[in-house]
Parts: sequence; structure tokens; C-alpha cells
Amino acid sequence: MAYEKPLPRVTADTKPFWEGSKEHQLRFQKCRSCGHVRWPASVICPKCYSDQPDWIVSSGKGKVYSFVVHHRTFDKAFEQELPYVAALVELEEGPIFLSSIVDLRPEEVKINMPVEVTWKDITQEFSIPKFKPLS
Amino acid sequence: MDLKDLKDKYAIAGIGYTPQGVVPGRTALSFYIEACANAIKDAGLKSDDIDGLICYRTFPGLLGEDEVTTYLLAEHLGISPTTLSQEANCCRGQLLHAMCWLELGLCKHVLIVYADNAATSGRLDVGHTAADNGVFGHFGYKSRYAMAARRAMHLYGTGPHVWREIAVGQRQWANLNPIAIKYNEPLTYEDYDNSAYTEEPFRIEDLFIPTDGGRACIVTSLERAHNLRNPPAVIMGTGQGNPSRDYTCMEQPTGAKLSGKIALEMASIKLEDIDACEIYDCFTSTVDSTLKDYGFYGPGEALDWFKGGTITPGGRMPVNTSGGLLYEAYYMGLGPLTEAAMQLMGRCGERQLGPKTNTKQPEIILCSDNGGLYQTCATTILRRL
Repeated sequence: MAYEKPLPRVTADTKPFWEGSKEHQLRFQKCRSCGHVRWPASVICPKCYSDQPDWIVSSGKGKVYSFVVHHRTFDKAFEQELPYVAALVELEEGPIFLSSIVDLRPEEVKINMPVEVTWKDITQEFSIPKFKPLS
Repeated sequence: MDLKDLKDKYAIAGIGYTPQGVVPGRTALSFYIEACANAIKDAGLKSDDIDGLICYRTFPGLLGEDEVTTYLLAEHLGISPTTLSQEANCCRGQLLHAMCWLELGLCKHVLIVYADNAATSGRLDVGHTAADNGVFGHFGYKSRYAMAARRAMHLYGTGPHVWREIAVGQRQWANLNPIAIKYNEPLTYEDYDNSAYTEEPFRIEDLFIPTDGGRACIVTSLERAHNLRNPPAVIMGTGQGNPSRDYTCMEQPTGAKLSGKIALEMASIKLEDIDACEIYDCFTSTVDSTLKDYGFYGPGEALDWFKGGTITPGGRMPVNTSGGLLYEAYYMGLGPLTEAAMQLMGRCGERQLGPKTNTKQPEIILCSDNGGLYQTCATTILRRL
């Protein structure tokens, strides 16, 4: 069945991120000048304005920074999953990344809960990172 | 030149209302026009007197409507202002910009307006997403504020047990305001607790309801305002706080903290001098975060501060006396600002602060206006003449 949920919108900034995801690597930009690891991806480092980033591969481990339990949705493709959890995950390397929490009931999700990335291959072109409780 | 030099120099001299709630068949533009015309008339001015026009953001046109622009609005009002302004994404600085134009001598009477037909068009109910949030089913501004609210629960021990005090309190005010969309719809704690989750931790009663309608006000010098129709609401202080951080970074304080500090300093008053507050309340939790950052209470103290009817009719610190954006109608920062001005002018009928509602006679009211995810905030302090 065709994948009906929104697909990532790949930009020049996020292309390396989604290419990494395809290989099940969670990649972030790390500033070559000051070492700041950033998300969202951007042309310059917001700390020092250097335009020289390296793309590093995150451990994929982090903790729940905050979360929302969705009891309704604006996109019918998500309806069968209601209620579902969207969460901000603070990765070990520093970035805070919006994703989904899976393998847990919504009432079991807590702030600061340790989580790790798990990959979902959604189309030929895209794999998306979701997060599950740290094993 | 210092911001403090502008203290008590400018005032709100007229306010424009329109029919509001669910008003089928009308365009957003029609509410803009009506609100502006009514503000001009209310001040006792003529169209030719208006030489500055500021529109809050307009949302994308639907149903084949015209995009509402300042010049289209000027055309329909038959005015040719010296200067025009319309922001795009809810940055908050409209009142300060009006004061700057007046101070420069560019303008004598500035009109500020917001309107929409959001109830009947469904314009605000679409799932605008930031970046790739939609990939994960996280749509719209409600989701983003819910995320911040959950973080605030963790950091500050707040939550639905606090927010229901705001919901119930504001609903009491709405029930004194016949034009409020939730007039004649009382809300108990039990009603709140039983209302459905939407973007949890938010329930339906935590959310503002998109409205058809418009609201406008006239800003002019206090000197000119003296000769106009209404007793002016004097601008004692105004400030901005724009902690422009990544939207995912929701560690508070919000922009309320800095903007409040600047406004209080400009007004040369302390928080204890405030008689009532009109707080930007797209959600109940927004009121909580804003009041905390102004310093009305500290982290973990919210419930103690609210309980016992602090913000309700008869309370010691009335908040959102029209019912607010939550339950009166949604006009961005013009909801709080115009309600404060109306209260100080003594034009609020059954909900009038003072003996009628067993509250303090209002001399000074603090208003907030918040945009983005607490990333841009204006605070304004008005006083009675």
C-alpha cells in the first residue's frame, strides 16, 4: 500500500541528514570551528557563524525532553494510530529532535526517559528515525 | 532619548468592535473594515485624521477571498496614511511601532487592527507544520504549545490542576460579557476535568476558539486624546522581549520576562501596583507561563496563587476580564489591549472592574501579547486618566 503520510521535504540543508537516514545513521552537523552540534540543519553555526560543518553520526541515544499525546490529527493517514506520541528527544550529542515514540503506550512516556533511535523504512527513498525505550 | 521619555505621552483613544463568534458569509476583509471604521467613529475622529495603519498578520486567503493588505484596507476606508505596516508571522511590536511613528511626528493618529473570519472559513484549523514535523504527525501551533506546556509541567510543577483555575476563572468573566462566544456557557472544575484531550496535556477547554470578527484601536498623543470623545487609556509603559531561539528550545523564561521588566521600568511602577491583567491567552498554559515570568508567582507556586478565585470576579487580581481570547473572541494582542482600555475607560458594563464586580477600582492594567512559541512578546501597561 502506498505511504500516505507526509514525506520529508528535502532541502540543501537537510539532504545529508536524509541520506544518512537511508543508511540508518542519525546525522547532525558539527561546527568545525567551535564544535557545536546543531539541529535544525543550517548554512551557518548559530553560535559562531562558521559555514564549515562536518556531518557526524549520532549514537542515537538520548532522553525525552518533552512530548505530546495526540488524540486527534490533521492528517487522516495518522488516524488509525491515535492516540500517538510526538516527542522532542534530546540526543547525547546535544541536538533536540522532533520524532515519534514507539513501542510504549502513551501513558508510559515520561520526560527524561532514556530512548534510542529505531528506523522505519517508509518508502524506497526514505527511512525515518523514531525512538523507543533504551534497551 | 529614552523609552522612559514616552511614559504617559501616548494613549488609546478609540476602540472598534464588530459582530463576533460565528458570523457566516462574511469575508475577513469585511471585519477589518468594520472594526477600523468603528474605532475611528468611537474616537470621534474622521477618516482623514488617520495617518498610520498597522495590521496584525493576516492568514492566507481562502475561498477565493482577497488577501487582506494594508493598502486594500486603506482603499475601503477611504484613507491615505503616511505610513503602513503589516507583519507576517506574529512578531509583536505593533503598539511600540505606533508610538515611534507618533514620536517621530510621522503620524498623529495610528490605527491598529486584526480581524478574521476564522470560525466560518476554518482558516486556523489547518495543520501548518514547522519543517518536517508533519512526518511525525505533529501538526500546527497547538501541538507546539502543548509540547512547551508539558515541559513546563516537568520544570515548574504546573499542569491541568493549575490551568483549570484559569479556564474556570476566565469563563466566569465571559459569563458577564454578552458578546463573549462562551457567554451563558458556565464551566465547572468537573466540566474541565471531563473535557476531551486534544493535544495532551491540552484539553478542549485549554484552547482558544477561532472567531469571526475584528478589533481595532486608535493610538494618539495624550494631548490630542484629551480633545476626543472617550477618556483616554494612557500608555505608561511598553516593552519587548524576543528570545529568538530555536523553536524546539522551550526552556523558559518566555519573552514576557524581559518585556515585562522593560514596561514596568518605563512606567516606573512595581508589579504590586497592577490592579488587573489582560494576558494573551491562546491557551490556558500561556496565561500560567506569562504570569509566572512577570513574577506574580514563582516556580511551583502557581496553584497557591490561583486558588480561591484570585483571577475571577471578586478576586484580588482579575485576569482576562472579557473572557479573554479563550472565551470572548480571538484578536491576537488586540484582545487584551482593547479590553484593558475599555476597563480603564469604564465602559465594560456588567464585567466592569470596581464595585460592580467586587474588585479594585482599576487604575493600572497590565497587558501581554505573545507570538511564535513564546519567542516574541510585548507587554503594555495602561492607566486610567
